[in-house]
Amino acid sequence: MTPILQAENIEYTFKFRPSFFAAKSIFELGPLSFSLNTGETIAIIGNNGSGKSLIAKTLVGAIQPQKGQISLLGSNENHANKKTRTKTIRMIFQHNQSIMNPALSVGSMLHLPLNLNTSLGYSARRAKIEQTLLQVGLLPEHYHFYRDMMSDGQQQRVAIARALILDPKIVVADEPFAALDPSVRSQTVNLILKLQKELGLAFIFISHNMGIVRHISDKVIVMDKGKLVEHGNTQEVFKDPQHPVTKKLVDAHFNLVSKHFEST
Amino acid sequence: MALLEIKNLSLYIPTGTEQVKALDKVSLTLAAGEIKALVGESGSGKSLIIRSIIGALPETWSVKADRITYDGQDLLNMSRNQRRQIMRRDIAVVFQEPTSALDPSVKISAQIQESIPDEFIDKGFIWQRWKQRQQISISLMHKVGIKDHERYLDCYPHELPTDISQKLMIAMALASEPKILITDDSTRGMESTTKTQILRLLSKLNKTKNLAVLFVSHDLLAVTNMAETMTVLYCGQTVESGKVKSLMKKPLHPYTKALLDSAPSFQVSLPPKSELIALKGTIPTLQHLPIGCRLGPRCPNAKKECVVTPIPRKIHEHQYSCHFPLHFPNVKGPDKEVHL
Repeated sequence: MTPILQAENIEYTFKFRPSFFAAKSIFELGPLSFSLNTGETIAIIGNNGSGKSLIAKTLVGAIQPQKGQISLLGSNENHANKKTRTKTIRMIFQHNQSIMNPALSVGSMLHLPLNLNTSLGYSARRAKIEQTLLQVGLLPEHYHFYRDMMSDGQQQRVAIARALILDPKIVVADEPFAALDPSVRSQTVNLILKLQKELGLAFIFISHNMGIVRHISDKVIVMDKGKLVEHGNTQEVFKDPQHPVTKKLVDAHFNLVSKHFEST
Repeated sequence: MALLEIKNLSLYIPTGTEQVKALDKVSLTLAAGEIKALVGESGSGKSLIIRSIIGALPETWSVKADRITYDGQDLLNMSRNQRRQIMRRDIAVVFQEPTSALDPSVKISAQIQESIPDEFIDKGFIWQRWKQRQQISISLMHKVGIKDHERYLDCYPHELPTDISQKLMIAMALASEPKILITDDSTRGMESTTKTQILRLLSKLNKTKNLAVLFVSHDLLAVTNMAETMTVLYCGQTVESGKVKSLMKKPLHPYTKALLDSAPSFQVSLPPKSELIALKGTIPTLQHLPIGCRLGPRCPNAKKECVVTPIPRKIHEHQYSCHFPLHFPNVKGPDKEVHL
């Protein structure tokens, strides 16, 4: 089986000069390669500033890597072609509130990607939007709602609906759960698991929450200072971490959990 | 004796036509040298409690309370000046989202130096005092675990990573050597290693300086590691409070149970990719609060009686407000307050 998304030796260098006389600071991402199959979930973990979000941006095409290849659905052209790429890979952001336009209703927000990427007419688009809203657990009435009329959880659902509206094969999510409350968070986790089962979506997600990473991901990628330091099955990585960075992250999490069980 | 005591605090916010009861008879005590956790989701009024303690509320909002006392002094009937003195020296608050709580137009070094009270500087010439301030601010940064102070002192807040600015906020709060430290959601969005560092720092301060900590968070993993007692809030009502151990072992309120069940880390036997237990619906907004027990519409065991606000009941030190607690799910409790 050919993987749905394959990254080979992608490299990205980011140069930054704080002032004219100061030394250049350089951030190097990669080289890193990995592959993603249909219906699989990959989690990217690592410390702050390790380049996790940069990977997400490279995969969705917001940043062009300077070296290396990303192939989508088995060919490089698919990733280079903006039309196919935007239809196949969609992204969910961390602060869904700040990336939603408060002056647009949910309906018009969801019309936009359909308008730009498909040749559907108005009524077909509208039917598609209502179907997607139902799919993510909202009502067709939410079509007329504005951002500020909805709660956090509902906004998150709209963000997921916006990602799903073009029937993507891959969804890239940058910290989708960080801003959510515990009870809403488990609802969203359930929703994502349900959608993955129904639609065979592949997920790439970045998270700090090791409990959720362990629960929903099949594979883990551990990043440190722009380098991929560990890569493997979630269960194996959590059971037997190899790299010091991974060890530290996993140990810190399990220490917190075991202290919890000691106390009860 | 309790250092900070809040009894039946209600907060009313006017919304045009009517007044919304944002906090409904919340009680809280914090003893000296205790770590207490205040747990609740966003919109449960955690931040409102903090703001009523420090008195940073708009004038149109009205606070009604039987008492809010700090060390025996009534905070509500105190002059503004007196209250400000207490807030300056004895109660320190670390606000949510450090990057926005810091002044974006002032360098870190100046902000830390500003938070050091004048009494800590011995008299001397102006350059000696300046030097002293600098030394104190560097030692404060070392105390909270920032080793390379040189790198950060000359920065503006937007140049700092979140965990460093969080630690800086704690350093600035500790500058006046307070008796109570209130931290508002200080582990939000942190990876597990940084989180452990912050928790260890707070526990160490609690042990060495006998600092009382009010740890406000919705991160249960952090709470169980730190706190001795906890209070769970939902929509401005106290749901359950008591020792962390007994609450974790045997939650009596359905909401506490749901909160515990929602974290996959706590369930060892849970198979990967299985469905998590979650309450349905979301937290109601302040404009649409349900009457009676505010969990009502989302509660799995809600019955007709739940439209009446339940009276807090107490078993030993474990207090809960529910008509149908989990250990007696079918028997309605008495209407009057009893101590079992």
